[in-house]
Amino acid sequence: MTSEYNRKFILLVLIPIFIEAVIFLVIPILGTIGISFTDYNPIAHRMDFTGLANFKNLAGDADFIIALKNTLIFTVVAVTLNIIISLTVATMISALRSNKTRSFFRMIAFLPCIAPMVASAVVWGRSILNTKIGLINQIIEKLGGKGIAWTGDARFVMISVIVFTLWADLGYNIILFCAGIDGIPNEFYEAAVLDGTTSWQKFRHVTLPLLGRTTTFVVLMTLISYFQMFAQFSVLLYKDGPQHSGLVLTSYIYKTAFVYKNMGYAAAISFVLFLLILVVSLVQQRFNKVDWEY
Amino acid sequence: MAKDSQQLNQFNPFRSRDLKRRALIFAILLALSVIVVIPYVWMLSNSFKTTVETLTDPMHMIPQDPTLAGYKKVLTGSPFFKWLGNSCFVTGINTIVILFTSSITGYLFAQFRFRGKQFLFAMLMFTMMVPAQVTMITTFILIDNIGLYNSVWALIIPSFVNVFGIYLCKQYCEEIPKELIESARIDGAGNFRIYTQIVLPQIRPALGALAIFTFLEYWNDYLNPLIYLSSTDNMTLPLALSYFSTQHSTNLSATLAAAALIMIPAAIVFIIFQKQFIKGLALTGMK
Repeated sequence: MTSEYNRKFILLVLIPIFIEAVIFLVIPILGTIGISFTDYNPIAHRMDFTGLANFKNLAGDADFIIALKNTLIFTVVAVTLNIIISLTVATMISALRSNKTRSFFRMIAFLPCIAPMVASAVVWGRSILNTKIGLINQIIEKLGGKGIAWTGDARFVMISVIVFTLWADLGYNIILFCAGIDGIPNEFYEAAVLDGTTSWQKFRHVTLPLLGRTTTFVVLMTLISYFQMFAQFSVLLYKDGPQHSGLVLTSYIYKTAFVYKNMGYAAAISFVLFLLILVVSLVQQRFNKVDWEY
Repeated sequence: MAKDSQQLNQFNPFRSRDLKRRALIFAILLALSVIVVIPYVWMLSNSFKTTVETLTDPMHMIPQDPTLAGYKKVLTGSPFFKWLGNSCFVTGINTIVILFTSSITGYLFAQFRFRGKQFLFAMLMFTMMVPAQVTMITTFILIDNIGLYNSVWALIIPSFVNVFGIYLCKQYCEEIPKELIESARIDGAGNFRIYTQIVLPQIRPALGALAIFTFLEYWNDYLNPLIYLSSTDNMTLPLALSYFSTQHSTNLSATLAAAALIMIPAAIVFIIFQKQFIKGLALTGMK
């Protein structure tokens, strides 16, 4: 084939991809950065350059501070619990001998991930966490306790959302950890068996270190996705929960940009979220540098 | 394969011969499985109850006076099939287009040399780091200006380039032996023919995984429909469900019937194809 022919093929594929990528990936990024230096509001017909005013205002914005705090608390707690539980469950599943049983438990674990998170959140909000008729409070009352306003009491809002999120989202990581554990070469375990170590020691000294690459990937992906969680906060809570106890950055960006149409200010908040994700990714990759191969 | 797993069983300490411990693990996993499944059972149970029962005597797992009223309410009292159609349309087009653009671009980046390749690829990779919350503001302004606000096309047109898909396909295309492509070329096959006859079959596992991811992403998406769609008839299922739930806040059985109609078919498809599904998902963690 002539190189002229290859050139035609390359251009034919690349030009449409490039145009689409510029319009819907590059321009939106640059555009939002640009807008964050303005007070753009399409309803109020405002579009003035305001420099760093939006970013300065963030520091004195109580709602923003709450949203930032809630996002950090949710992400740190939910990701930590997610990794601990999914790694434990994956180890337990991989410990079973029958292939059929293993794939049965993997299937059950992944089942909630198939449903739209919104659908699961509607089911939980209406029939499980509901104060009056929810399953959990019904059980508590049967046992003689007093029902709790799971999504209506600021003290319990975050706990409820985290428990729900873990139920809805653990499956992905369990599958990834199972694959990681099954991919560890047998020789490592043979050596451990010869050394006569206990199973905790094997987990601590063989599985965990050899799972380093999977863990790095899983932790990073989970962190990035939990920083952006929105659906369950929006569906489970009424107006971000009492005293904004469930207000997270994505809800705040959504509200500011699309309800109040303060797009300039929303752009500035979204930029903070981006920086947060960027910093966490860089720090995480630095700490988790895996410098061996098997 | 069977022999491999046999060997694995012998040496993996977590598949220990210690029957007691394995029984304990099995029991714990079974208990956890019950917790996972209960919300589904509870949803189904309540979807067949009368409104009176859900309000006055909600504790029975088996409905006292089973009724299809909830399902009837969803199917006849709301544009449910319109919503289903919208979801299928958006998810179907996006999945097919993304599989095509990702595989052909991945092939290009893996097997061709051209000027600006490194720069272009780096640019694409960088956009993957930027969260949707940043891009959605300007994308909304763009979509609004080209008149696609409140149209399902607003969920389709911005989605044609999927950077994760391109990356995944490129990784797989790099593993295709050069000789395979060279010999096809000598036999007179053109680039597009090589793409369809050699590249696509070779990267099938990647395409499977990508199809699952794309399907789940668009089928379950809530934030974008919330931003772009305003009229009831144009909604996709997740947004429609949250709307329906607010509209029928006193009718628990109808709301849960709607949730069941959305969750159960997907769950059945997943259970049937779970082997391929889980293999495909696990694959993306390896690359």
